[in-house]
Amino acid sequence: MDALVRELMPYVGRVCGAIALDRGDDAMQETFIAVLRNLRSLREPAALHGWVRRIAVREAIRAARGGREDPVDPALLVSTPVAPVDVATVVDVRSTLSSLAPEQRAILVLRDVDGLSEAETAQLLGVAQGTVKSRLHRARSQFARRFEP
Amino acid sequence: MSDAGRQWPMAMLGPIARARALGASIPSAAWAERILDVPYERVWQWLADLESSVPRFDSQVRKLRVIDRRADEGAELLRIAATTFGVAIPFAVRLEDGFCLMQARARLYLVVMAAEPHDGGDRTRFFHLEAVPLPGTRLLRGHLQRAVDADVANVARLAAQGF
Repeated sequence: MDALVRELMPYVGRVCGAIALDRGDDAMQETFIAVLRNLRSLREPAALHGWVRRIAVREAIRAARGGREDPVDPALLVSTPVAPVDVATVVDVRSTLSSLAPEQRAILVLRDVDGLSEAETAQLLGVAQGTVKSRLHRARSQFARRFEP
Repeated sequence: MSDAGRQWPMAMLGPIARARALGASIPSAAWAERILDVPYERVWQWLADLESSVPRFDSQVRKLRVIDRRADEGAELLRIAATTFGVAIPFAVRLEDGFCLMQARARLYLVVMAAEPHDGGDRTRFFHLEAVPLPGTRLLRGHLQRAVDADVANVARLAAQGF
């Protein structure tokens, strides 16, 4: 089991770090507890990665919601003119991510880091495809256009 | 992944969180944690010398011998023999900075030791876990808990004495 933990650590760390931010370490531990406890319920080994992704996103959003971060100002979610972001430092990325709602961070991770389609992202998060599209647009606008290829 | 993607914040699974996650998935797992008033480097230096440390804090291990040792991407992989009740039991060991996983042959027994700096490194958070990772062994937990509690108390006592 420890070998599985070591293999999954970088991926889970990236998902939990980007979505749960300061509570990422807690989310990561909870993710691995859930993964290891329920591993036997996974019938298709090939589905492991997607299954772990689902758990990590769920735990990260849960951790972020229970965190001490201030609620996101709804106005922030629709505003497009934002100060240019220097993505050269982790601090800047973290700072920008922290202005997004946990669900928006999850969408950014799934779409822009993981490369999931809108449909896959919508299914994983249990929201409509249109919701993914609009939230992603707002998040990208806020996060800076430099994330675009 | 894009260059920007690589700079996203990373969460970390520290040695103790990793040990806890492993333990949470095994019904028989028993563990204990203690803050030691000794700097982390000193604690881990002592613990990682398994031949010397384990027989001193685990009263059930009379002798521990390292049979083989090799490096593996930031870790050391050891084969050891721990003599318990007159029987030398082979273990496979993965030893990293702050993390030691010892697994008996056929995965009959699992021991994890983990440690992290505490209070800025002046003190150490020490975690110890033992488990029988087999189905139907939940009832062993009480026995294992007593053993783990005794081990951790011994480590704390030895730490207070300067090892």
